[in-house]
Amino acid sequence: MRKTLRHAWIVARKDLLLEFRSRTAILSAVVFTALVLVIFEFGRDPTAIATLDLAPSILWVTFSFAAMLGLNRAFQAELENQALDGLLLAPVSRISLYWGKLLANLAFVAVVETVGLLLFTLFFNVPVGHILLPLVGVIALATTGFIAVGTLFSAMVIRTRFAELMLPVLLLPFLIPPLVGAVQVTAKLLAGRPLSEVGGWLRLLLAYDIVFVSLASILFPSTVTE
Amino acid sequence: MPDTMPQNGAYMVAAYIDAAVILLVYALFLFRRSRRSS
Amino acid sequence: MTLAQRGRWITGVALLLLAGVYVRALVFTPEEIHQGLAQKIFYVHAPAAWSAMLSMGLVGLSSILFLLVKDPRYDRFAAASAEVGTAFSVVMLTTGPIWGKTIWGTWWTWDARLTLTLFLFFLFLGYLLLRGAVTEPGLRARYSAVLGICGLVLLPFIHLSVYLFRTLHPAPIVLKPSAPSLPPEMLVTLLCSFGVFTLLYVGFVTLRYAIGDGGERDA
Repeated sequence: MRKTLRHAWIVARKDLLLEFRSRTAILSAVVFTALVLVIFEFGRDPTAIATLDLAPSILWVTFSFAAMLGLNRAFQAELENQALDGLLLAPVSRISLYWGKLLANLAFVAVVETVGLLLFTLFFNVPVGHILLPLVGVIALATTGFIAVGTLFSAMVIRTRFAELMLPVLLLPFLIPPLVGAVQVTAKLLAGRPLSEVGGWLRLLLAYDIVFVSLASILFPSTVTE
Repeated sequence: MPDTMPQNGAYMVAAYIDAAVILLVYALFLFRRSRRSS
Repeated sequence: MTLAQRGRWITGVALLLLAGVYVRALVFTPEEIHQGLAQKIFYVHAPAAWSAMLSMGLVGLSSILFLLVKDPRYDRFAAASAEVGTAFSVVMLTTGPIWGKTIWGTWWTWDARLTLTLFLFFLFLGYLLLRGAVTEPGLRARYSAVLGICGLVLLPFIHLSVYLFRTLHPAPIVLKPSAPSLPPEMLVTLLCSFGVFTLLYVGFVTLRYAIGDGGERDA
């Protein structure tokens, strides 16, 4: 178990170092996120619709894009460098490989989401300090859900025709439960509802994460074994 | 609640025809392909 | 008798029985006074949904067996079940809103059942697209199996999330949907329809399995 985690960390580090050196993907992701928020800001009429009504949707559209960008970036890097083939030769278990990619993708998306959240509170004047912990919690839970399945599918989609189109098409149904849950919880949190009201959703998100991270870990080897 | 039965027979007809057409077309499609490959 | 012939027979018989069910549902089953004639859509919509779910369940099961045993016949069966499931999904997805329009007044609402049918359809579609996009059979089989299993596991989550959503945001109801306790004639019609749709699934899958790669090479 410890060896798996250590190997996973090594795989993740390699991906993240590559990312850090070029920095293009993360910068463009951050800029894109800011752009989405700005468009929402200019598109709305604060006298017609209260910010709190729109806020959860705006936030989650932004985060969904961030997640897709993160997955695409990882995927582009693989396509260009055929890094996956190289990694398969390494004495690293397939599960470590999956966890490594998962961690790297999560780290990337986490950075973009952090910036997104900051910009969001700035642009829309929505106070989140009092609910920061549960908010970060739900963001983490939902994002893990997207990225867990997304990382698995990325590995498959590389070897297909129309690869860039396939990933979102295959992923769409899998984004629904975490997304619906996340938007609901965010809405309740921003509206100042007590945590007890969102218990059901949080449990659903957690169950989704546990089930799909486990399932993806079990299935990932099948996608890369010859 | 309406006192008389709502007049929505047209919907029923539409749905029944729609289902029948889809299933028949698919069946025909399968029949054709099965003759071609066997 | 070859498998294809058997498939044609079963399908033929099922289609004849379907005609029988149609007659029974339309002519010999009493009408529901509150919902009107449109309530009878239920006798087609619910069994189609059952067949679609059955298809997905067997895709998942077959996928698991394929990954465990690596027998290509399981992959072939999963592919057949997925295509058949798509056909039933289309029936489900078209009859659902038609019925929905009479109950809710709108063609679409994010009700648990309709939403599940939509995403089931997307799953089947994704599965078929993936198969179309991978040329090497061994790879195609493995990838499809992975997607099939994930899809199966996803279904309860979609149901739960929409159910949770709907209990907080009830859909507008113009007419109350059919009560759980059906009078005997309606129940018999419904059960007959379920039986026929199941037989239709068997027929279709047998045929599709018999066709096998012959069809997929064209894709």
